[in-house]
Amino acid sequence: MKIAQRLQSRQPQWEELSRFCDAMELRGRTDRATKGDLVGAAGIARFSSLYRSACADLALADAYQLPPATVSYLHRLVARAHNQLYRANRLKPNGWTDLIFVEAPKRIFADPCVRIAAVVFFGLFSLSMYLAFQEQSFPMYAESVAGEQALQQAETSFEQPLNASFSHYVTMSGFYIQHNTGIGLRCFAWGVLIVPCLYVLASNAIQLGAVFGYMARSETNAGDNFFQFVTAHGPFELTAIALAAGAGLRLGVGLFRTKGLTRVDSVRENASRAVPIMAASAMLFVMAAFTEGFLSPSPVPYVFKALWSILSSGLISFYFVILGFPEQEPSDNLEDELQEIWDAA
Amino acid sequence: MVSNAALDTTIGVVTPENIAFEYHLAGPFRRLPAYLIDWAARWILIFCTIVPLYFSGFFLNFWVVGPFLVAATFLIYFVISWFYGTLMETFFNGRTIGKWLTGIRVIDVDGRPVTGRSALLRNLLRIADLAPMYAISNVSEGVPPIYMIPTGLVGLTTMMMTRRMQRLGDLAAGTMVVIDEKKWKLPMEKVSDSRVPALASYLPADFRVSRTMSRTLAIYVERRTMMTSTRRREIARQLTDPLLRRLNFRPEIDPDLMMYALYYHAFLKDQDTGEVDIKPLRGFSPLMGEALRPTDNLDVGAGIGRGSIRSREVDLSSVAARETERSGRGLVMADEDEQSEDGKTPTPRISDNLAASKKSAPRGIQNESAEDGK
Repeated sequence: MKIAQRLQSRQPQWEELSRFCDAMELRGRTDRATKGDLVGAAGIARFSSLYRSACADLALADAYQLPPATVSYLHRLVARAHNQLYRANRLKPNGWTDLIFVEAPKRIFADPCVRIAAVVFFGLFSLSMYLAFQEQSFPMYAESVAGEQALQQAETSFEQPLNASFSHYVTMSGFYIQHNTGIGLRCFAWGVLIVPCLYVLASNAIQLGAVFGYMARSETNAGDNFFQFVTAHGPFELTAIALAAGAGLRLGVGLFRTKGLTRVDSVRENASRAVPIMAASAMLFVMAAFTEGFLSPSPVPYVFKALWSILSSGLISFYFVILGFPEQEPSDNLEDELQEIWDAA
Repeated sequence: MVSNAALDTTIGVVTPENIAFEYHLAGPFRRLPAYLIDWAARWILIFCTIVPLYFSGFFLNFWVVGPFLVAATFLIYFVISWFYGTLMETFFNGRTIGKWLTGIRVIDVDGRPVTGRSALLRNLLRIADLAPMYAISNVSEGVPPIYMIPTGLVGLTTMMMTRRMQRLGDLAAGTMVVIDEKKWKLPMEKVSDSRVPALASYLPADFRVSRTMSRTLAIYVERRTMMTSTRRREIARQLTDPLLRRLNFRPEIDPDLMMYALYYHAFLKDQDTGEVDIKPLRGFSPLMGEALRPTDNLDVGAGIGRGSIRSREVDLSSVAARETERSGRGLVMADEDEQSEDGKTPTPRISDNLAASKKSAPRGIQNESAEDGK
């Protein structure tokens, strides 16, 4: 049998397999490939028998003396079919809740990078706030860090008591989601290069701290209104920034602290650990944005805002500590029990 | 196969069932256009979503829905600009619009489709890959400093330094970008030159092409259209020169044509059909011992200059009709250096007892001749 004939006899089957792949890549089902003839199990059975014969063709390609172009076509075809047969699971709906409520807190609790980022962020923030607050000891600190114009602008914008309309709330929460979460995601992405991430984190901490310190001075007029504004969403937003940077640092640390893995494997491993932290951070950003859009600028009495702030801090602590506390390894328990049984015997 | 894996842009993937297949990697010059297309597609998508929203907003009461529209604008901008790649790659099996147009696809390094998590990672980390930013305001004073051009040096460097041509995001997510070709043509070359079957009929009936040689022939015929005629002969001669001697063929036969005939013999010829039209050879026998039979109907001085015979199929068949019989050029290559032998009797290069043999060469040498061709 000449090769041309052999190819001609095989080609319809290969093309059918290719059609199956098309249909399955698009919808995950086989019915379109056979125009509805083979649905469900029958289609899958047909698909796998076609796949097996293509595998056999590929295995015998050398014996059949198939031309190289045909062999490489078969390689691609078998690869495609293999991908469909053993396809990775799509995102399950409970996959994301597991990611955020089970995996993320544990990662955050155990991750030193998050701690480093939190220390850097909150440390610099407090330091900068103190420096800006002590006008006598450190004159012009706040002005030189945050810029005189920006401070003036902030002051004038908070001089009026908070009293925004509903349309303002909706618009601003949209804006905050877009803007602040964007900063967080950017901070995360820069983390793989470490230095830019630390720079973004530190500069945000210092700038924010300077503004806070300036506003906290007794002679600043808008101070009260400013703190009324930031109290409600502060816990969510500041934590979210620190988390995003921590997730980013986790990526970057994987580059040089490989723990015996190859460098590439280490980056992969660390990146997959960083994803839940980043997801938690994004969730916090969104919640902060809604608070910032609706509650913060509203004329609600300060008590409610303070209550919400305390509640959100409590929620975050619950999330990090209670959900994140490492469970005892079940194997340990089993061993202990066995030991007890052994002792008893 | 293993030795040239490092040089080639193919990556072999072996599954646990021991099925091995190969992927062709996509380099920066395929991925950059895809990225630019995606960049445009992202903005088009944002506008196409927002404009109808505002239109419907105007038909309703704008004062009521206005703030929601503005908030929706922010959200749409946020989601599309950050998660366009992630969502596209997750739901369209590793392809975005740009990747679809440039024929590439993201897959896992072990060959499986990309998962949502890795798609998210590799798309978020694109920012780091596009670093460092270059400010246009460095060049011209008038431009405000917000316009930054990403240079992408980080991603480019990592792509050059990794075997799978991965950027940082790919490394972190464990993905790679492969070329996703689906075009399928029967890789059998259609032989349009009528002299090829005729020449192939002179091959000994029991001439068997070995496995390695058939692979060589197939690769040659697949790629010969990409080479100039001189280069073709140079390459083909490596195989045909010893073979012509073994088969007792005339040494001035065009190596390219000879390769074609061997290919025809190995892949296309149907053994059942015995009758082959040898007229296209114009009475020229490729065998050493056979005399050249003059034919009357050909114009001898047809004005075929040197170099007029090109090995491309079209040229060959059209020129073949105008061949001069005297030099037996129907199969002869038209090289500059061969031209000096025109009209002379070619000097026999093999011993007389072999030269005397006709159509079927001695049996013993066939397999060795095939092996020689490697």
